[in-house]
Amino acid sequence: MIDHILTLLVVIPLLGLVPLFVFMRSAAAVRQVAVVTTGVELLLSLYMLTRFRVGEAGFQLRESAAWLPSLGIRYELAVDGLSVLLVAMTTLLTFLAVLYSTKTITHRVGEYMASFLLLEVGMVGVFLAIDLFLFYVFFELMLVPMYLIIGIWGGSPRKLYATLKFVLFTLAGSLLMLVWIIAVYLASGEPGARTLTLPALLAVRDRFSADFQFWVFLAFGLAFAIKMPMFPFHTWLPDAHVEAPTAGSIILAGVLLKAGGYGFLRFALPLFPWGTQAWLPVLIVLSVIAILYGAVVSAVQRDLKKLVAYSSVAHMGFVTLGIFVLNAQGGVGAVLQMLNHGIVTGALFLFVGIQYEKTHKRLIADLGGLANRWPLYTAFFGVFVFASLGLPGLNGFVGEFLVLLGAFRFNPPTGPGGLTWGPLAAIGVILAAVYLLWMFQRVMFGVVREAYRSLPDLSPLEVACAAPLLVLTVVMGVFPQPFIAIIEPSVQRIVALATDPALALFK
Amino acid sequence: MSTSAARDLAAILPEIIVTLTAIAVLVIDTLLERPRAKPWLALITVAGLLLALVSGPITTASGTYFSGFVLVDTFTTFFRAVFIILAVLGTLVAPEYLARRRVPPGEYYATLCFSTLGAMTIALSNDLITLFVGLELMTIPIYVLAGMQRHDRYSNEAALKYFLLGAFSSALLLFGFVWVYGVTGATEFAKIGPAIAKTGLSSGPTLIALALVTVGLGFKAAVVPFHQWTPDAYDGAPTPATAFMSVAPKAAAFAAILRIFDGALTPLAVDWSLVLALLAAITMTAGNVVALAQANVKRMLAYSSIAHTGYILAAVAAYRAGAPSAAAVLFYVLAYGVMNLGAFACLLYLDVEGTRGATLDELDGLAKRRPGGALAFAIFLISLTGIPPTVGFVAKVFVIQPVLDAGLVWLAVILALNAVLAAFYYLRVVVHLYMYDPREGLPRLVPAPLLSLALGLSAFLVVVVGVLPDGVYAWALQAAAPLVFR
Repeated sequence: MIDHILTLLVVIPLLGLVPLFVFMRSAAAVRQVAVVTTGVELLLSLYMLTRFRVGEAGFQLRESAAWLPSLGIRYELAVDGLSVLLVAMTTLLTFLAVLYSTKTITHRVGEYMASFLLLEVGMVGVFLAIDLFLFYVFFELMLVPMYLIIGIWGGSPRKLYATLKFVLFTLAGSLLMLVWIIAVYLASGEPGARTLTLPALLAVRDRFSADFQFWVFLAFGLAFAIKMPMFPFHTWLPDAHVEAPTAGSIILAGVLLKAGGYGFLRFALPLFPWGTQAWLPVLIVLSVIAILYGAVVSAVQRDLKKLVAYSSVAHMGFVTLGIFVLNAQGGVGAVLQMLNHGIVTGALFLFVGIQYEKTHKRLIADLGGLANRWPLYTAFFGVFVFASLGLPGLNGFVGEFLVLLGAFRFNPPTGPGGLTWGPLAAIGVILAAVYLLWMFQRVMFGVVREAYRSLPDLSPLEVACAAPLLVLTVVMGVFPQPFIAIIEPSVQRIVALATDPALALFK
Repeated sequence: MSTSAARDLAAILPEIIVTLTAIAVLVIDTLLERPRAKPWLALITVAGLLLALVSGPITTASGTYFSGFVLVDTFTTFFRAVFIILAVLGTLVAPEYLARRRVPPGEYYATLCFSTLGAMTIALSNDLITLFVGLELMTIPIYVLAGMQRHDRYSNEAALKYFLLGAFSSALLLFGFVWVYGVTGATEFAKIGPAIAKTGLSSGPTLIALALVTVGLGFKAAVVPFHQWTPDAYDGAPTPATAFMSVAPKAAAFAAILRIFDGALTPLAVDWSLVLALLAAITMTAGNVVALAQANVKRMLAYSSIAHTGYILAAVAAYRAGAPSAAAVLFYVLAYGVMNLGAFACLLYLDVEGTRGATLDELDGLAKRRPGGALAFAIFLISLTGIPPTVGFVAKVFVIQPVLDAGLVWLAVILALNAVLAAFYYLRVVVHLYMYDPREGLPRLVPAPLLSLALGLSAFLVVVVGVLPDGVYAWALQAAAPLVFR
């Protein structure tokens, strides 16, 4: 038995920094420290899964301590069905990203691994914190390490532009959110009784007037929409992804984008039902635009990495659509889609990276015929491409199917309903098949170029990095039920809070 | 000696110790023959200052002394500690630079102590006269510090500009105090309030008094549009002096602002708080916008310090929120002091013969040349930006809270947007530190153990208080308690 699992999850990467700094001079030692630390973190998160009681909607494994007693702000960590799998996904992707980086990163290894460990603290913390203030701290903590990862170990000289753009976009959203977090704090009670802890806030959410919620939701929504990113706040994403090193892209797509969708479900929806209702039409439209726009723009990309980046915009569109149709199918689908996107798009970035390491070409036009030389690579990459386009039997299908199911059932009091948005979103699924298969065909098939004839197939390390993701892709596609069983009760509770009939929103 | 005189002197024991330290340093300086022994002067100064720091809580009881000219309360204690901490850091960062540039160290430390003494006097003033004496005692040594590099024309320019505008603003302030006295017939803070409550702002003389005091203190704190002296003075002064003068006088100015506005002028709060809110918005925006355009890091930090004045002023303007408003000022002043002093002092690593060590290019690749220094610099910059887990972040939170509580939502939004602007230029420095390779042909960096000690300590504090701010914030709340609603 281990107590304080969640605190340990936050602290272990920090503890890893100590030996890391001690052995800073030796690249080999630093790599070992980083792999061991993230490995222990992964094992601990799996242990956390075994301790999680499936079928309960509320918070579990909660840890609580006074943090800022003068203001009544608390250190509160907990998991529920919404967050528990996201935490496990985070530790898995971080471990794999670090493992893959042991081969590819050769300069300033110490600083690189330190950034990753710090990043892991922020990412794990974001999904564990149930105090808004603590959540915000972790939310921002992810920023600087990723800024360094893109800026120092990124690709072309444009990386500096890309990384600054990433930071400024994110900060612009999150600092405005900070103002309204404090406004929520002030509105939560009389001086001395104020709080930012989620369960306590839920108990007093009647104090937030509809007008107040309109503005709070706008500020929160902006921060999360930029992080996701939703159309039209997505412009930082392609730049950041193209410039980021492979492991950075895996984490950025796999985990960082999820912080936005998670923030909507965890805080914005249950706390501000009036605000949610007020902004619902806008968010639904933006989601559908993201799905279609992301797909169309992906189709015309010449750069492989940019294509995957824009496909993320489309996939995140499914997530937000699932969230804002405000029913259990959509919500569960959105969470599954976040997990699936983390696994599959993480893997796609991994494979684009592996391919780039070998060929040093990223433009689709420069590639071709790789299937002839790299059977193993082709098999792996193919599975992930099919998962990404939503082939039944692989995980991508389950999430998108549930989101579409939820979308069709969407029935708002006014304005176009599910029969408008559902079919439109479904077009996105078809478009995904078009751009992904077309890309796959151009990259993998055709005549192999002379320069690529002697390039080796996947190395054992690369297989080791990809195999867990492949297994998850298949397992979650064939047996989604255990995962849904974990997610569903908590999501149902959130949806119920957001659509509480007592609020007289749905007549 | 009568008991009341002994009681009065015991109340200002920390100030006496600081004075004795300054004198001792001057005397010991003349006795030290070899230049290599000079760094000991810094340590003697630090020892004296630390003694003053611990002497305060031991000897002093709250109350008024010297026939009501001096007031010792939790507010005084807080600011004494702030000034001494800043003086200690300001002393520790200097020795290597002073030796390189042949600035006489004894005079430097003594001047710094005298300036600290002036700042401490402001914190214990209970009367316009004490306050003005403290203000001058603090500022005049700063003019000297700015011009101490006598053969450097930038240093001369800095000293002269600072002196001329400083003298001008002192005159305005004094004139304002005279009007206050004319209107109320009192110089003691506690008596000004009731008297001014009777006149209200409708009377012309009160309006003139308020305007002059606002402008005078605005100059001292570098509030836009009274900030024009700041960039040249900060840029031209010797860097260790810049580090100190960018924080201690500002902290002192806000001590004065709180004593006068929150203390004496409380009855007019409805009127001045809106003026201060507008000034705060203009100050933070102008400071940040101009800082964006700077390629010289010293100038950039100078303009950014104007922006920070705006943030602090926003907390003052949120007077209606009560004690959290003043506590936010106190916390921010301390946080800003440590991180801004640290940021300026990081430039000292690069300040070697042949360069002024202040352009962005010269910072290129510092992370490779001096990893510890670059890390500390990055921590200060991130803290100045206001990104967790640093003290700069919690300081902004503490400011935004009363600002919103006072109903100034627009000001909080402007503050947040300004933080984004600031992120752009602060993080650009981090880009140069970490993401560029060092240029060819840069002069070799010299070891600076005391500087590294001071910066390491400050960076550590910035992070630790950033993660666990409650102790300091509770202290600030306690210090704010006697101030508001008097």
